Amino acid sequence: MSTKRTWVRTGLATMAAATLLLVSACNSGSSSSTGTDDEATTASGGGAGGVDIYVVGGKSDDPFWSRVKRGAEDAAKVAESTGGSVTWLGPQNYDNLGPDAAKLIDTAVSNGADVVVGPDWVPEAEDAAFKRVVDKGIPLFIYNSGGLEAADSVGALNYIGSDDHEAGVAGGEYLGEQGVQHVLCVNTLPGAANSEARCAGLAEGVEGSGGEAEQLPMPSSSFGNPTAVSQGIKAALLKDDTVDAVVTIGTGDADAAASAIEQAELGDRVSLGTFDLDETQLSRIKDGTQLFAIDQQPYMQGYLAVSMANSYVLYGIELPQRPLLTGPAIIDGSNVESAIAGAEAGVR
Amino acid sequence: MAPVHTSTAPASDGATVPSESRGAALGNLVRRPETGALIGTLSVFVFFAIFGGSQFLSAGGTASWLNVAAELGIIAIPVGLLMISGELDLSVGSVLASSSMTLAIVSGHWGAPVGLGILLALGLGLLTGFLNGLLVTRTGVPSFVVTLATNFGLAGLTLGLSRVITGTTSVAIDPGSPAKELFGTLLANKFEVAIFWWIGVVLVVGWMLHASRYGNWILAVGGDTVSARATGIPVPKVKIALFMGSALGAALVGVIQTLLYNSAQVANGQAFVFNSIIAVVIGGVLLTGGYGSVVGVVLGTLTFAIVQQGIYYTGWNSDWASLILGILLLAAVLMNNTFRKMALSYAPKRKA
Repeated sequence: MSTKRTWVRTGLATMAAATLLLVSACNSGSSSSTGTDDEATTASGGGAGGVDIYVVGGKSDDPFWSRVKRGAEDAAKVAESTGGSVTWLGPQNYDNLGPDAAKLIDTAVSNGADVVVGPDWVPEAEDAAFKRVVDKGIPLFIYNSGGLEAADSVGALNYIGSDDHEAGVAGGEYLGEQGVQHVLCVNTLPGAANSEARCAGLAEGVEGSGGEAEQLPMPSSSFGNPTAVSQGIKAALLKDDTVDAVVTIGTGDADAAASAIEQAELGDRVSLGTFDLDETQLSRIKDGTQLFAIDQQPYMQGYLAVSMANSYVLYGIELPQRPLLTGPAIIDGSNVESAIAGAEAGVR
Repeated sequence: MAPVHTSTAPASDGATVPSESRGAALGNLVRRPETGALIGTLSVFVFFAIFGGSQFLSAGGTASWLNVAAELGIIAIPVGLLMISGELDLSVGSVLASSSMTLAIVSGHWGAPVGLGILLALGLGLLTGFLNGLLVTRTGVPSFVVTLATNFGLAGLTLGLSRVITGTTSVAIDPGSPAKELFGTLLANKFEVAIFWWIGVVLVVGWMLHASRYGNWILAVGGDTVSARATGIPVPKVKIALFMGSALGAALVGVIQTLLYNSAQVANGQAFVFNSIIAVVIGGVLLTGGYGSVVGVVLGTLTFAIVQQGIYYTGWNSDWASLILGILLLAAVLMNNTFRKMALSYAPKRKA
């Protein structure tokens, strides 16, 4: 009887251990894929005066966040040189983003963070956790999303990032200068605050020069399927022949939009632009089938946030720029060459 | 889609054809299992033909839903076969992503010949399917759990490896000829070659399910595993082959999308997990297995694609697309249940 119970217990323990292994493997796969993070975390255990920086970020399988993380990793080299460490905490998925992010912020505190860097995606869910960080006397930086308002309301030192609304306005104004009158803003994440702000800003920017912009929302059953997105955009272009520009909220969607314009044979009438940037956008801008891309320069968000966190804790350095904006930057035919060099390095 | 056995015993006689009532009268049409699915497809087509206007009926409009249906169908047909045998495959999303990243990394990032990249991508799919099948048949853990686990595991592996190897999560590829023409080109600048791949899959799987003895095996395995085993059907081998088939379908779509859009992204593909199941269920396959047909799955796929793309031709706010899909799914299943009852309760008592 007792041996039987032991067996059961051993079995359960093995299963639990296997589960833990699996989970930690997933974690190291998606959130801290580089060995340096883990080494740094253990190395700093002795507390040799270095700064233990905890960065809450997105899933690193979306191209955007992999660039933010790359910036954080590059800045981590400086922190590591003085015995510090940078630990990246990311959610497994975006299904329950606010509460998940709040838990990660609490995890950072309970792991003994000297300074916390985090995005304020869902203020209602995350702000309480951010305030707990500040109440413990731990310096806090908000980056990527939330803006200066969020930073001030939770008592963070600064906000580092872009402003989606401003980015949209910049894109809209640029389109206005090119003489565009009717813009379609393709939104594959309808209801998300940042994609809505991008489309709203775009509309505001275009209206400045007398044009108009409308949103094309795509259902979640199309997300991650370029063919469904592409055929949807094609349909909208065929349906309304006054549309003369398509702007997408992300780079994968821009690839789909490029194919849609080609299939509708409207390359002469419809110009293409996108928020964010990758290699494929750059090559299209270079060969002239895409007009522009709006870059919030994600690499600098990770890089600057970690650098500022490190130098604030070590030396008390604060910058006068509040917020510290990393974008928008418009990439078009005039500056595409240097951006291509950055993309090849996995930075832009 | 690999044959279950290499021994090719002649099984061509009509005796093994399942549930086929040859020379059926028109009245028997309502008792066909696909009738519900056919009514669904026709009604959504008519609906969007009325509200979508001439653009929906144009070549471009037809290509819109046909392209989407073709890619979904290449996955939904083998997934449907698997569901007929009583198992689920939730790993197709990650198989698609890993196959497309494999191709882009091998042939785009490292510059190896495109043919090699395609072979490795498809091979990876077959391997994943084999593992799924082996785990399900050896451990007895439900396929829902096993394939959910492989979906996550493979997603993590794909992400981790692509970041270690390339430093990014989206990789560009310049396929060139003839791979581009074979997998990822647009005919008449509108129709994807994937449509022909889909037709090919339909013909092969349709023959297998409805005209070969393997079809009987699959239906028997889904209907009652114990009896199937008792009659000498190699149940584990059948299931492993079916898992390999669905993974191969997903890997093929990964190759097609990569070559069509000249790039691969780690986050792609997850929409296919539920979309393929929706298409199969609309097509009249029983979630519990043992019942379904290839024609039904084809019709279910078409219905799904027409609804998903048709809404853009109506000019209505596409915020409502998901609502319509949800209602359609429920309505289709209710209708299928009605027709299935009619089909199964029909006993040829009054035979003339």
